[in-house]
This record gives sequence, structure tokens and C-alpha cells, in this order.
Amino acid sequence: MNISASILEIAVVLLGVVIMLADLWTPPKYKSWLGVGSAAGLLLILAGSFFLQVNEPIQAFGGMYVLDAFALFFKRFFIVATMLVLLISVEYSKKFQSGSGEYFSLSLFALSGMMFAASANHFALLFVSLELITITFYILTSFLRHQIISLEAGIKYLILGALSSAFLLYGIALVYGATGTMQFDALRAQSANMVQSPLLLVGLLMILAGLGFKIAAFPFQIWAPDVYQGSPNSTTAFLAVGSKAAGFALLMRLLMSAVPDVALSWEPLLMGMAAITILYGNLCALPQRNLKRLLGYSSIAHAGYLMMGVAAMSLNGSGAILYYLSGYLFTVIAAFLVIILVMQHTGAEDIIQLAQLHQRAPGLAGMLALSMVSLAGIPPLAGFFGKFLLLRAVLEQASVHTAYYGLVAVAVIGVVISLVYYFGIIRTIYWEKQQLVADEIHVSPISRVVLWVCAVLMIYLGILPNRLMEAASTAVESLKF
Amino acid sequence: MESQLAQYIPVLMLGALAATFAFGTLLASAILGKTGYRSRIKDTAYECGMLPVGEGSARFSVKFYLVAMLFILFDVEVVFLYPWAVVYKDMLVEHAHLIFGSMMIFLALFLVGFIYEIKKKAFDWKS
Repeated sequence: MNISASILEIAVVLLGVVIMLADLWTPPKYKSWLGVGSAAGLLLILAGSFFLQVNEPIQAFGGMYVLDAFALFFKRFFIVATMLVLLISVEYSKKFQSGSGEYFSLSLFALSGMMFAASANHFALLFVSLELITITFYILTSFLRHQIISLEAGIKYLILGALSSAFLLYGIALVYGATGTMQFDALRAQSANMVQSPLLLVGLLMILAGLGFKIAAFPFQIWAPDVYQGSPNSTTAFLAVGSKAAGFALLMRLLMSAVPDVALSWEPLLMGMAAITILYGNLCALPQRNLKRLLGYSSIAHAGYLMMGVAAMSLNGSGAILYYLSGYLFTVIAAFLVIILVMQHTGAEDIIQLAQLHQRAPGLAGMLALSMVSLAGIPPLAGFFGKFLLLRAVLEQASVHTAYYGLVAVAVIGVVISLVYYFGIIRTIYWEKQQLVADEIHVSPISRVVLWVCAVLMIYLGILPNRLMEAASTAVESLKF
Repeated sequence: MESQLAQYIPVLMLGALAATFAFGTLLASAILGKTGYRSRIKDTAYECGMLPVGEGSARFSVKFYLVAMLFILFDVEVVFLYPWAVVYKDMLVEHAHLIFGSMMIFLALFLVGFIYEIKKKAFDWKS
């Protein structure tokens, strides 16, 4: 037993429990301080994570749990993501009629699920951590329980989430039936000479379906726009960065550490999924007028770009995924915080609400424009460099399989299509003539800090990518690909 | 492998029979039924000659859901406690910390939930 390997998760769970208990004795006026307090606690845990040494992978709980550079990278990523989400939900929690304290502690429990997912080295832990994420998200998506659209989002997420869990579980059962093991290291040895076994392949396909649901890749993306639109804004941001990244962490660990031989023969399948996801997300985003729905479709498209890194099946591809996710995190958080701030009074979420934003709030307008530009992938921002790394990783593989050229072409077409709707938003902000009766926008100090952090990191990651690239490439080396 | 799978042929046959029966009945009632003379009165539910009154499904308090959820929580606790108590004596010899510590952690987390329920007045039927 090596419990100390999971010290970070234990700390996060304890923090969540403390916040939950503190909420019971906190008068309603001071509830938002619980959110700030939990973010501060996470900052301490993040600082503590730098004292962990992972030169060698540490296994715990009978090989179920592994702490290596890859897991640690994702753990830090999730902690940062949750910290930012908690801070923007402090801003948003005024909209909750009750239970904002629970919102913060549930976010922390979801974080612990994501952190366990990053370390999953066994199908049992994979499933349990995924359920911990999903079940907390059922509550987080339907948190505006007096709004029918939020309840609708919750119900849709619940039903489709249950369906995907069933697929995942059945797939795990079949893989266990075929190989007799659920532990990834043992599976790696077993699966090498079972590439042709139909039972194993069907099982892995079902697991791919279950994980595909989490990352909203085609053809498992149907839920995403409705859930993104209906959920509270802070939950939508959390879904886009946290839940999706957890899905990718599990997918990469599974495909590259557990069943690399099968995954190599699946390159065409993964390429196809990536290509269709990119086209689907971008084409469907074009006619959207609701800002959150548009970002929902755009997140599908980004899942497609990230799938390219998985389809490349190389260290560079995996490193690019880690880099891209980090850039995407700050971009999405900034975009959603601006949406929360601009739309908190009106309640409507139509793009037209952004008209003349640069006169009402030039800072917010610039921030939203910056994040749209980064999402579109224009240099010198983080989004550009991430896409560049992904495309480079895919092109490197083109000597193995000429179909990779097709994937690159599709990705470039997708980027061009996405320019239309991202710049449509920017056009609305700066050049839309329609004058709205709009309230004054008040930006709290916390939001100001979050926006500055996101903006600085978006630009920093675009101009000076070396530090993070090195961290990402050392992280993926522990995937033993 | 082949002979093992062959054992499942009766199951497959039973499944096929069930599907045939289910869809066959639906098909037969679609073809044979609904041809006679129908009226509103004929289509009402027959309740021993009494006229049906009110909704088909009665409304009941949402508190019952709360009770059901609390019941499941305590039920799950016991589900873990029983097998733990059964193996406790054997495991105490070698893995004393493991057997004792893991249950204490579980119960501590459970206690937190208990405090939460009390403070949220989940046990207060009247409010």
C-alpha cells in the first residue's frame, strides 16, 4: 500500500468536505467567500504538488493507481481549471437561489474524480473516477433548478450519461472476458498477441464509445449543444475544459499504455472520428445565434482537433494534446467569464446582446475578441500554437499512412470555416449598429484578476511556448508508447 | 471455445421466441384489433361499473423521495459493514491498519454526510 501517492486527491477531497461542512454554518451573505476559500485551498494544493517527485512511476492500491509525469501534468491542469471555474462561479453563484456552497464542494468532488482519472491504471478505477465526474456533473448541470432549460440539460445529460456508462461497463466486461485482466500493465502484455480477438476489439470499441461521450466526439456528440446551452455558465465552462480533458487523459492512457497494438490498427478509425468531428462541430456552429450553443458546437470542433493528436499515435501528437488543452483552458474560461459578466442582467444569451460592447465595456470586449481569436487559431495566441503542434504531429505521421494528409486538409478546412463564426462574434462586438438598452456592467476584483491571468497566459503560451512544451513532452514520455 | 458458445444456443432460441411473441402480439393486435364499433364510452376504463374519477396517477409528497434516498444511503453503509465485520477477525492478524483504517475513513465520510443531513433538516418530517 502506497497511499501517500494519492496525497493530492486526499487533500482535494478533504477540502471539499471542509467546504461542505463550513457551508452549513455560513450565513447566506458570506457564501461566496466559500468559493474564494476553496480556490485558495486549491492554490495551496497546486503549490504542494511541486514537492512531489515522480522520476519513477509510483504505483499504489495494487497497481490500480499510478502516479507518473503524465498523471501529475493532468492533475495540475485539473487543479488550475477547477480553481478558475470556482472563481468564475463565485461571480455566477448570485443566480443560484440556494445551495451555492454545495456548488463549490461538488466542483471539488468532481475535481477529485478528474485527478483519479489522470492516474487510472485499472478499468475499475477508470470507471469509478469517470462516474464520480459524471454524477457530480448531473447535479452541476441542473443547478438552476427553477429554470426549465437547466433541468432539461440535466435530464439529457443524465440519460445519455447513463447510456454511455452502460456501454463503457459492458465494454470493460468484454475486455475482461477476453484477456482475464483489468490492470493496464497486464493488459498491455496480454493484448499484444490478441489483436485479432473479436471479443477484445468489440469490448474496446464500446469503451471508446463511452469515452467518446465524455469528450463529445462524433458520433457521440448529440448531447453537447443542449447541455452546454442549458447548464449554468460556470458549469458549461467546467464541462468544456474539465470533463473533456479527463476524457482525453483516460483515452490517451488507455490507447497508448494499455492497448497500443490495437490502437495502432485503429488509426483509420480515429482519423475518421477526428475528421468528422471537426467538420460537424464547425459546420453546425455556423448558423447558431445563441452564444453558449455556439461555444458548445465549437467545443465539439475542438474535440475533433484534439482527436487528431490521438489519431497521430505518436509522442509528439500526445504532447500537442496536452499543450492544446492548456491553451484551450485559459481561452474558454476567459470567454465564459465575459459571457457571465455581460449577460448576467439580461438573461438572454443571443449574440446580438454583445452589440456595441466595446463602448459599454472596452476591456471585456477586447477580452472576448482575444479569446475568439485564440479559439480560431490566429497567431500569436495559444490557440494558434496548439493547432500548429497538432498539425505538425499529424504531418510527421504522413509517411506511415497517406490518409494523414487528408486529415490535415480537413483540419485546415475546419479552421477556415471556424473563422466565419468566430469573426462573426467579433464583428457583432465592434461593428453591429443596433443599439441595445443595456445595463452598466460591473466587474468585480476577482473577475478582473481571472481575466488578467487568462489573457496573460493566452499570450504567453502563444509567444513563449517552450516551458510548457517541455513539460508536456516529459509528461507523455511516461505513457511508454 | 466453440463448444462453450454452443451451450448458449437454447438461450438464443428463448430470446428469439420472446421477440417473436412480443412483436407477433403487437402485429396481431394491430391487424385484428380496432375494427369494431368504438365510442368514447366504450373506450373508458372499466372500474366495476363505477365512473372513473380524478387522475390516473395520484400525487404524493416529494418527501417520500427524500426518505427513499436516505434509505439507500444507510443501506449502502450496511452493505459495506457486514462483509467488513465478517472478515475483520481474519484480517486483523496481518493487515490491522488496512482493515481498521479503511472502515474508519469510510465512516468518517459517512458522518460528514450525516451532519449535513441533520443540518439540512432532512430528518424533519414536518417542515
